[in-house]
Amino acid sequence: MTATTWVTRGVSALLALALLFCSLLAVVEIAAAALGREPVLVHYPDWTDWLRTHSWNDRIVQALLGGLVVVGLLFLLLALRRGKPAALTLRNRTDGVDVTASRRSVEKSLAAVAARTSGVAGASASVSRRTARVEARTVAPSDPGIRDEVESAVRGRLDSLGTERRIRTRVALTTKDTR
Amino acid sequence: MSSRANVVNRVVLTVLGLLLLTAGGFGLALSAGAFGESRADNPVLPEQVRTFPDGRPWFWWAVAGGLVLIAVLALLWLLAQLRTDRTTRLDLTTDARDGYTTLHANALTNAVEDEALGIPSVTSASANVREHRGNHVFLRVELADSADIDGVRTRLENEVVAHLREAVADPRFLVTIELRPGASKTPQRSLT
Repeated sequence: MTATTWVTRGVSALLALALLFCSLLAVVEIAAAALGREPVLVHYPDWTDWLRTHSWNDRIVQALLGGLVVVGLLFLLLALRRGKPAALTLRNRTDGVDVTASRRSVEKSLAAVAARTSGVAGASASVSRRTARVEARTVAPSDPGIRDEVESAVRGRLDSLGTERRIRTRVALTTKDTR
Repeated sequence: MSSRANVVNRVVLTVLGLLLLTAGGFGLALSAGAFGESRADNPVLPEQVRTFPDGRPWFWWAVAGGLVLIAVLALLWLLAQLRTDRTTRLDLTTDARDGYTTLHANALTNAVEDEALGIPSVTSASANVREHRGNHVFLRVELADSADIDGVRTRLENEVVAHLREAVADPRFLVTIELRPGASKTPQRSLT
């Protein structure tokens, strides 16, 4: 599961809990009012008075409405955002067998393959749906062919995986601080 | 965790998001005078709305009914977060008149894991049976950094999956394999 999925799940659980609690509380208040009792937990006559004494163009009302719009947009963002995939789909070879490669492990693997290139001290990689970005740290500003070597190694690793969708590679070189 | 819950979460959040956006946007338009300046000066709760339930005893019971429905839906939504796709048994019954046959998922997954671990470069394997669009086995395989991914995959599909399908007597049994290349730590090259 991706970070986005975890956040969506956490927000959903909290929201479901809040909806459950608030709707049951409202039912209790309605039942109490029907029996002629005082408000149980929420002193709603204050809320009614507040709504009667404030008009639509009051600043506080506008701020609350703006808040609703913001929360609504956040919910939509959370629901519709795709985020990075948890796994990359690999080309199908056998009927009924779906093969994927975990994105994080592919990132580690690409970083490792880049780090094994001669002249590279270390590397990190990030993979999205379409692009693999590798940042390699070279020992010194040296051989201009390093980029091609790193790119070729990374390309080779991706090809050996056989992803369903072709993934572009982007290699950035930085020089390691040797002080 | 259930993948169905992810779909439910997205649908419910989209509906709630659209509701809040519409309500907030409509209120802001009203307050900005989009429906006439006089309406913007009206109280948020007009007198005719406040007194509407008076003399209509059914009103609050109808509201309570709606709230109970919302509470039930919220409870189902909450429970959906805790549900998993995993199953502990596979029903292999072909004809109930001959008796019922069930297979413990652990027996199957242990055999799958053991066979996967026998493939060179496989450092770890874990499998489970999930119930999502029919039963299927989910197999996660960690590979050494130097693994021949294509070779490992070929053996997984031609040997492990083939044996698994033989065991459940279903040549089209669904399998999902997640490869984790480079999952085992690779020693860093040191340059001196």
